[in-house]
Amino acid sequence: MHACTHCHESVERAVYDEIIDPNLSTPFCCQGCLTVYQILHQKGFGEYYQIKESAGVLRKRAPVSGQPERFQFLDDQIFLDEYTELDTEGLRVVEIYLEGIHCLACLWLIERMPLMEPQIFNSKLDIERSVVLLKLAPQLKLSEVASLFNNLGYKPHVIKSSEDQRRLKNQEERRELLRIGIAAAGASNIMIYAVSLYAGASDLYAQVFNTLTVLFAIPVMTYSAWGFYQSAWNSLKNKVISIDVPIALALIMGFLMGCYNLFTGVTENYFDSLTALVFLLLLSRYFLKKIQERSLRVQDLDFFHHHESVLKAVDSSLENFQEVHAKYLKPQDIIKVKPQQFIPADGIILKGRTHTNNSLLTGESRLVSADHGDEVFSGTQNLSSEILLKVLKVGGETRLGEILKSVAGGWSQKSQILHVTQTVSQYFILVVLALSLILFVINLQELSLAASLERALTLLIVTCPCALALAIPLTFTRSLGLASKNGVFIKSDAAIEKLMKVKNIFIDKTGTLTFGRIQITELNILKEPLLPMADVILNLENQSQHPVARALIDYAKALKPQIRRTEELLETIGQGVSAKIEGIKYEIKNYQVFEHDILVATFKVKDLLRPDSFDLIQRLKRNYSLHLLSGDQKEIVEKTGQEVGISSTFSQQSPESKSRIVTETSHSLMIGDGANDAIALSRADIGIAVHGSMALSLKAADVYVVTPGLGPIENLLILSQETMRIIYRNIALSLTYNSLSVIAVFSGHITPLVAAVIMPLSSLTVLVSTLIGTKQLRSLWK
Amino acid sequence: MEIILLLLPLAILLALFFIGVFIWSTLRGQYDDLNTPQYRMLIDDKDCSKKGIDP
Repeated sequence: MHACTHCHESVERAVYDEIIDPNLSTPFCCQGCLTVYQILHQKGFGEYYQIKESAGVLRKRAPVSGQPERFQFLDDQIFLDEYTELDTEGLRVVEIYLEGIHCLACLWLIERMPLMEPQIFNSKLDIERSVVLLKLAPQLKLSEVASLFNNLGYKPHVIKSSEDQRRLKNQEERRELLRIGIAAAGASNIMIYAVSLYAGASDLYAQVFNTLTVLFAIPVMTYSAWGFYQSAWNSLKNKVISIDVPIALALIMGFLMGCYNLFTGVTENYFDSLTALVFLLLLSRYFLKKIQERSLRVQDLDFFHHHESVLKAVDSSLENFQEVHAKYLKPQDIIKVKPQQFIPADGIILKGRTHTNNSLLTGESRLVSADHGDEVFSGTQNLSSEILLKVLKVGGETRLGEILKSVAGGWSQKSQILHVTQTVSQYFILVVLALSLILFVINLQELSLAASLERALTLLIVTCPCALALAIPLTFTRSLGLASKNGVFIKSDAAIEKLMKVKNIFIDKTGTLTFGRIQITELNILKEPLLPMADVILNLENQSQHPVARALIDYAKALKPQIRRTEELLETIGQGVSAKIEGIKYEIKNYQVFEHDILVATFKVKDLLRPDSFDLIQRLKRNYSLHLLSGDQKEIVEKTGQEVGISSTFSQQSPESKSRIVTETSHSLMIGDGANDAIALSRADIGIAVHGSMALSLKAADVYVVTPGLGPIENLLILSQETMRIIYRNIALSLTYNSLSVIAVFSGHITPLVAAVIMPLSSLTVLVSTLIGTKQLRSLWK
Repeated sequence: MEIILLLLPLAILLALFFIGVFIWSTLRGQYDDLNTPQYRMLIDDKDCSKKGIDP
């Protein structure tokens, strides 16, 4: 057993590089890794492997082995105009998403591209996004750059580069950082003067310190806190009370009171507590935003660019084909689709006979045979042989496009829930306003108007729900981070709250419960053949693209078959294959194997259940009601239902009817993968797209899982419940502290010093409560 | 205690200086990518100029 020098995958039979290292001390798992190794050495980048040795791997993702591709469609002028830009110096700016960026050595290598290709002037990698920003000489062909990356093992996907958008995003992020930084600077400087005031500074010193506090507070309370005022105003305009309303109220009152006291010479203000609050709140929201952005980003890039390149006929002779980007196909174009490729548009077969896998579009697990004149659909996979297609519909006109439109509409129709924070905020602000009114009236009987008003305002300031506002983003950040570390990406924090309320779980069959491709379930050898069965299968089926053939080969490969002398290999599409292997005639047809026309073995195929499906369903059944929702035929769906123990099954459902069933049920969770699930995913209370989902479903879902199997979903459900438990606990804790403040105000014991103790203490308590989490949460994913 | 009258303006100037530096570096794009530089700095920069490729 060796470890591959390039990707560290363990290999049994290694390939060796003979050019650079004749001693054969560098094993490789495949030709792809070997090629990358040789290219790197030839270009003088052998240091890559030293860096890699000493650097930890950032992600558990093996680099993609480079399959030669030509990327000609990238040189299309229309494509270039749309996807790239020329900067002020006349250089072409290109952004490329690279599959397989996984470690420090990748960063080193990618940023040395200008040394490898002198016409690349600048190469800068954003390792978090796996996106490289290149500046090229305009005459350099983009396809050459793409091939260069591809040869190095990183599959490139050019993404739309827009200077304006980048600048806008940068500006926004910089503004956020500035707000946080200024709040931090203001709060910490104020703290110095506040402590001096509390320690008993008097007379002139007190006046000076107080003035300085106010001066430092002005930028924090205006510039840094601007977002709170804005969001409070917006929520009031929409007639809802968000948590920002009481916060903004407290901030404004505190600011007014501080300024008023400055002019009247009273050295008392709440700026030390309020500015620290602004800083902490901004920080916790920033973290939550960052982690949500990460979830959205993986979705945007990783899976979205798979079927870009299409072979389009240049002339009517149908002999010459040109690579174009799938986006620029038009009706009446004639295209060539190779086996295993996805069909990029709805069209009619002009030439060729094949099988298509429609499971992602319709949920059907059976293969559909398509012949000359048959219509095939965008989003299905061409399996057995090459076909020529006349394009009928593209983009939004296709069946897939229709589904996409419904998905977009689905988001707006999604049932909205009232956030727990909103509910709390509404009551909170009512109670606080009522209490300050009462306080005002009571005090008016003993004190002057100004003094009573001051007391009432103080109540509004010190009951600011800072701990609450701080605790909730932090709790979500922690849970979202935990989930994303384990391959579950949650697009918004609202999803966690909805997950907790789930009662009905709808599960798609094909590709979700099952693998979505057929496998050999049993092979009965009736009579031992002359050659080993595995050798027979491999040599007969090696050339075939038929799904049954692929399944047989997968089955045979485990038995380590050998290549043998094969003659007269003949594949009849829709029938089977026959050949002479070592002079013996073999044939596979109709799920049977023949030797000299005598039946020697039979086999069965099936779309197998994923290994963890059964156990998971049994566990979920205890707490949820489960339903199987599939586009497949009745018998198959019911049989699968019996196997896993789900009695409620829906079969032969169209994407629209799936969505209807899901929306008619309350507290619904939809789990699926294909385009046929996409509308349901977008309209269910919550949609989860599993590993291997179509791009469309990933877009439609609220949550997606990048590790195979359904196991993560169970953890996710637990995670949501535990997260909400922490949130409720934090709400209880912070309301307790608020009650303490109210008591202090009513009994007349409140001073800025008391507030300066209670506010940080409450924030600290909820912080600790969040970090401790719950026992179940700590043991999750361990 | 009169020393405070000297220290206080100094402290404020220091604070303002650092706030200014922070604003300047943020606007210059110092914090645009918060993830990659931490790895980039780990790589020894042997080839400073475009020509000096290591063997």
